Amino acid sequence: MMGVLRSELFKLRTTRATKLVLGTAVVLPSIIFVLTSIFGFSSGEISNSLIAAVAESSALVGLLMGVVGVLCSTQEYSQGTIRITLVATPQRYKVLLAKLFTVVIVSIGATASLIALSLIPSGIILQSREIDFEIVGSDIRILFSMFILITMLSLLGLFLGLLFKSSPGAISALLLWPTIIEGLVFGLLTLAFDDNVFRFAPIQGNGFSLTNEFRSPDDNSWLLSLGYFSAFVAVFVILGTVFFSRRDA
Amino acid sequence: MIVVEHLSKSYGAKKAVDDLSFTVTPGRVTGFLGPNGSGKSTTMRCMLGLDRPDSGTATFDGHAYGDFDRPLAQVGSLLDAGDAHKGRSARNHLRWIAMTHGFPTSRVDEVLQMVGMSEVAKTKVGKFSLGMRQRLGLATALLGDPKVVILDEPANGLDPEGIRWTRDVMRHLADEGKSVLVSSHQLVELSLVADDLVVIGQGKLISSGPISQFMTEHAKTWVRVVSPQLDALITLATQRGATVERTREGADFSAITAMELGDLAANNGVVLHELSPQTGSLEQAFLEATDTAVEYRGERTNNVWEAPRP
Repeated sequence: MMGVLRSELFKLRTTRATKLVLGTAVVLPSIIFVLTSIFGFSSGEISNSLIAAVAESSALVGLLMGVVGVLCSTQEYSQGTIRITLVATPQRYKVLLAKLFTVVIVSIGATASLIALSLIPSGIILQSREIDFEIVGSDIRILFSMFILITMLSLLGLFLGLLFKSSPGAISALLLWPTIIEGLVFGLLTLAFDDNVFRFAPIQGNGFSLTNEFRSPDDNSWLLSLGYFSAFVAVFVILGTVFFSRRDA
Repeated sequence: MIVVEHLSKSYGAKKAVDDLSFTVTPGRVTGFLGPNGSGKSTTMRCMLGLDRPDSGTATFDGHAYGDFDRPLAQVGSLLDAGDAHKGRSARNHLRWIAMTHGFPTSRVDEVLQMVGMSEVAKTKVGKFSLGMRQRLGLATALLGDPKVVILDEPANGLDPEGIRWTRDVMRHLADEGKSVLVSSHQLVELSLVADDLVVIGQGKLISSGPISQFMTEHAKTWVRVVSPQLDALITLATQRGATVERTREGADFSAITAMELGDLAANNGVVLHELSPQTGSLEQAFLEATDTAVEYRGERTNNVWEAPRP
């Protein structure tokens, strides 16, 4: 099993597309945040926590990591390596677990890198300017939420990829669902109901809101959002697993 | 030893493989023949657990492929030379496969040397010709030094030297006691290396056994005769039920043996300049055996350059 996991990590490391998307997911938000620190905070006190400010990029990073998850599975089909993968490891559950752990490991690593690359330089810059910032009580939850959101979106990408087998289809689904489909569906529902129906939107209303520092009273609680978002991802995990296990390669 | 028993596989209403059974014995090269769409690749995929058969089994020394913990050390396979990420180097392509079994990187370098690719080990697969990809595919198959080797069209895209090299590799593997199953459309090449043949058509077994047996059963035989008194001999032979086809130098006699024809000529004072039994090629025997099982074929015309009429 360790060999298969090492192999999957190596595969991810040796393709340009995944490296490019992974690099973009980590470096781009970090650069933006550091630039914001340089030019945005010139004096005084930062109104909200620094970690909460970093967490604002979680949705973008999560979606980019979702693309990494998609590529982790679809490249196997587009390049034909799935046959060699399954010939080398005929027990498909091992391949699936190895891919799952790979995506989780890479997501956690990417999130940790993002936080480090954003906070360390920004902290140094802000300290040198004697700008006050502090670690507040909700920071641990926000940090934890960042890891959860980014990892879950990566897993969603991986299993969408296993379901669709093609990068364009899976990436379109991954990006269009939260950005357009949820907006349209729940926007229309808002017209029909007085209630805040967006709290039922799996990604926008629950996944993305996990990292929010403040929650309004008509939002779902953090725990309920986590449960709702997890259930949504779990549906695709199950579908992807069933298709991958039963489908001819 | 590979044992395939009553293997069947359908895609919707189409039966790709239909109750197929055959064996591949160690120390021999077994050619796997069949027209396009006859189910060769499907059979190989079912054997390797890539496709799930509707019924039947394929075992390697008594074990199903999916039962192996380290399958590459038991069975090496080349299904499609294109099965490699175009952005990875040849060495990295083999490295990720080697990692699944814990093979050292030195083994990767070893097989790259075996297939003559050491110098292009760091070149990306996308830059390779089809022939180079075939070599890389062969390196993949040999990575685990397996007891059984399954190759699907390994000579596709290779130059004559490469084809001869592939033939030598297959012979060498069989001489080492490995079971080698190879599908190919290059029948002349296959006739030079195969000991046994498995011939299928429309998913069903047509013939299985030594190549000599297949030739005896399916290859056309005739007797070539050159004689100054050919007309007389043709008259005598046709009275005995022989069929005759005139050639530029003489005539080809079918449905009569060379011995019978010789006796006939001697008893009737017919002078013979040549009397030689002839046997058709593997290609002719294959076409004969699979004639009724060809699913996709071009329209037959007298002029090969004439486009089929709509």
